[in-house]
Amino acid sequence: MPQFAALQRKDNKSVRYLVVDDSVFARKNLIKMIQTFGGEVAGEAGDGLTAIAEFNRTKPDIVLMDITMPQMEGIEAVERIVRQHSDARIVMVSSVGYQENILAALQKGAKHFVQKPVKAEVLYEILRYVLSDDPAAAGAPTVLAGEHA
Amino acid sequence: MSRPPEDRGAELRALFFESAYELLQALNEGGLQLETHPGDEEVLRGVRRAVHTLKGDAAACGFAQLSELAHQLEEVLTPEVVQSRGAGIAEIVLSAADIFGTMLFAYERNSEPRSGIHLQKMIRDLLEGPSSKKDLTAHEAHGSQIAATFAWTEYEQLMISEAVHRGESVYNLALRVDPNSLMRAAAFQLIRNVLHGSGTVIALRPEDNIAAATVEVVEAALATKFTAEALAQRCRIPAIVSDVRIERAGISEHELLDDLLEVQANLAHAEHPDDPAPAAGSAIGAAVTAITETSLRVDAARIDAVMNLVGELIIGRSMLNRTLAEFDKSHARDPVRTKLADAMAFQTRVLDELHKCVLKIRMVPVEQLFRRFPRVVRDVAKQCGKDVALQVTGQNTDLDKGILDSLAEPLMHLVRNAVDHGIDPVDERVAAGKPARGTVFLNAFHQGAQVVIEVRDDGRGMDTNNLRAQAVEKAILKQEEATRLSEQEVLNLIFEPGFSTATAVTEVSGRGVGMDVVRSAMGKLKGTVHVSTQLGKGTTIQLRAPLTLASIQTLLFRVGGRLFAVPLSSVVEITRIREDEIHMVDQREILRLRDQLLTLVRLNRLDHIHAVAAPPAAPTKKTRFVIVIGAAEKRFGLLVDSLVGEEELVIKALPSDIVSSDLVSGASILGDGTVVLILNVPAVVSRFSKALPMEAIA
Repeated sequence: MPQFAALQRKDNKSVRYLVVDDSVFARKNLIKMIQTFGGEVAGEAGDGLTAIAEFNRTKPDIVLMDITMPQMEGIEAVERIVRQHSDARIVMVSSVGYQENILAALQKGAKHFVQKPVKAEVLYEILRYVLSDDPAAAGAPTVLAGEHA
Repeated sequence: MSRPPEDRGAELRALFFESAYELLQALNEGGLQLETHPGDEEVLRGVRRAVHTLKGDAAACGFAQLSELAHQLEEVLTPEVVQSRGAGIAEIVLSAADIFGTMLFAYERNSEPRSGIHLQKMIRDLLEGPSSKKDLTAHEAHGSQIAATFAWTEYEQLMISEAVHRGESVYNLALRVDPNSLMRAAAFQLIRNVLHGSGTVIALRPEDNIAAATVEVVEAALATKFTAEALAQRCRIPAIVSDVRIERAGISEHELLDDLLEVQANLAHAEHPDDPAPAAGSAIGAAVTAITETSLRVDAARIDAVMNLVGELIIGRSMLNRTLAEFDKSHARDPVRTKLADAMAFQTRVLDELHKCVLKIRMVPVEQLFRRFPRVVRDVAKQCGKDVALQVTGQNTDLDKGILDSLAEPLMHLVRNAVDHGIDPVDERVAAGKPARGTVFLNAFHQGAQVVIEVRDDGRGMDTNNLRAQAVEKAILKQEEATRLSEQEVLNLIFEPGFSTATAVTEVSGRGVGMDVVRSAMGKLKGTVHVSTQLGKGTTIQLRAPLTLASIQTLLFRVGGRLFAVPLSSVVEITRIREDEIHMVDQREILRLRDQLLTLVRLNRLDHIHAVAAPPAAPTKKTRFVIVIGAAEKRFGLLVDSLVGEEELVIKALPSDIVSSDLVSGASILGDGTVVLILNVPAVVSRFSKALPMEAIA
């Protein structure tokens, strides 16, 4: 896997992620990528309900959210999380066939989406973009890529 | 100079504008000549004279800003400057003509052109030294290549200028959607989210997610508190937007001035002063054409409304025709009869012409769709590590805009497939004695009332035996079924959901969209897909769609007392048979027609299209008509009670809650008010070939 400069928060702490996917394999795959970006896994969830609970518990910087899951689908989880935390940064992870669902998730407040199979360099750029959009620093978005970890 | 006395003012003003527009014309012509003959001093003198005159006239009328600007331009139009700038001077002259034009336009409407000081300063910078304005960022110069019209409606323009008046900064944005993005609608939604999160969106093109599915460039006018630089950063959304162009909106001199500055920047970067950057030329070209644009942007819904009305008129005409025929019978000797017939003939001719014209409005060249593919082929080929060329022919073929839009997705899929799976790897190609570089051919042409779009590759082709084995392996077919299928039927397996022939799932394939998407998209268009392949030589996939969705030539017939229609384009022949010629084979009715076996279909058995269930009577000598229908490679015979004739029908879509069957693609009304159901031929074929035992159909 290629090397990436670490993505960091503004306060120079590492970025904390919540990874939501019903497939353990998909989660591990994403976590591996996140770690090469210098990130930290705050929590994992295999369905929407757990995702909401985990979000409230861990308050992650970024949520990577699958679309189709048991118990509660990704879209509903997005809707519920954003209703409580309007500044939540949620990136949908899905294959092309679910365009309708991604559209709905974006309308509910997801910040971005990435296609499965996820490519590390694409995810990296997307995360960098989503992290740079700091609502508090409107007008002067900063790129938060630090030195190589 | 001072303003002339009021009484002569109006007259002088009129005279000024008249001559000023002539001077602009001279500037434009001079600019074009300078482009081809950069050093022509005679032309340059002419241009200089025109600018000089404009300066004096403008000053006389009290248009100080224009006069001042012209003065500055005049200063730069010296042989020395021309020598140092070369052909670039032509672009400056042309852009200046545009700026003067917009200023004149403002003066004519008694409004003062805004931000004169700013404008003058920039012009001065421009004229003083080529390096003084180098700080234009690279992306802005680059982004200017995005072709954007920013053709806002009057209302939107009003909103923009009001926002500017309130002191907000308004930008015109053009965002190029990443050509690799497979989810255009979602990409557009995301762009929309970002725009809405960056300020107030005043105007947006396209306007909805559906239209966005085929659009390459999203245009918007945005009032924002961000700087252009910050805005560009926000808009450069990874994996979604590949290119951004931002310019200030609301003050038209500004836009043109930006172009002028880009010329400047490009000139500064150009290695040879007499060889201006091509980007600069196109940017200015766009600015010039934007002004001379004669085409009109109209809401598609309005065209559809006109189209519907024309459809109603056609129905009205056939009502008249019928009435006329009745009148003919009852008043055979009435002289009014011929007068009516004449009037009718005239009306028919005009109506036909009107119909054609309206259809033409919706027609666009397929080039609009094809032009994105060179990039797609290049990118996909690169991803697969192949060397693939794209050859495009027939790009001037016209078809309905709606159909064009719906073809975009299936075609994108086919082209990607052709590069990824169709074209063989270089070593295989060389071993097979083929050129190392693969070629994908895109072709479009008209055939009857259909448009055909062809995607062909010179790759490895498909092995039908391999396909058979795959079908059995994937439990789509049983072994004996697989062996019984014809070559064509085997090829059609690739359209089955979940059937992929790729041995390895690559990055490009294996995205969960298959050929079944292509087939269903074509089905919605009342079109067909046809595959042919030659092992080792390549694969051709043909998409056939009607030229227009609005009206079709049909053959009318009756079954069980009801009127039906089939598109004339799918009728192969009509024949007459005796009922005892029908044989039963494998629980199907079969007819031997010139040594070919033809499966027969009775509409009243097919489905619940209608309830008249005439039981298969004992074979008699009674004769029946059979309409032989072809859809893609399949042929079947439709047993009908009687033929009614040919008729041009205007298709009215049926709401799905009225007709739940996909066997009917629409309905139409005849002149006498009779409702005709139009058969969806591909659906009938597939329904019939799936339902093997006849009992299962009923």
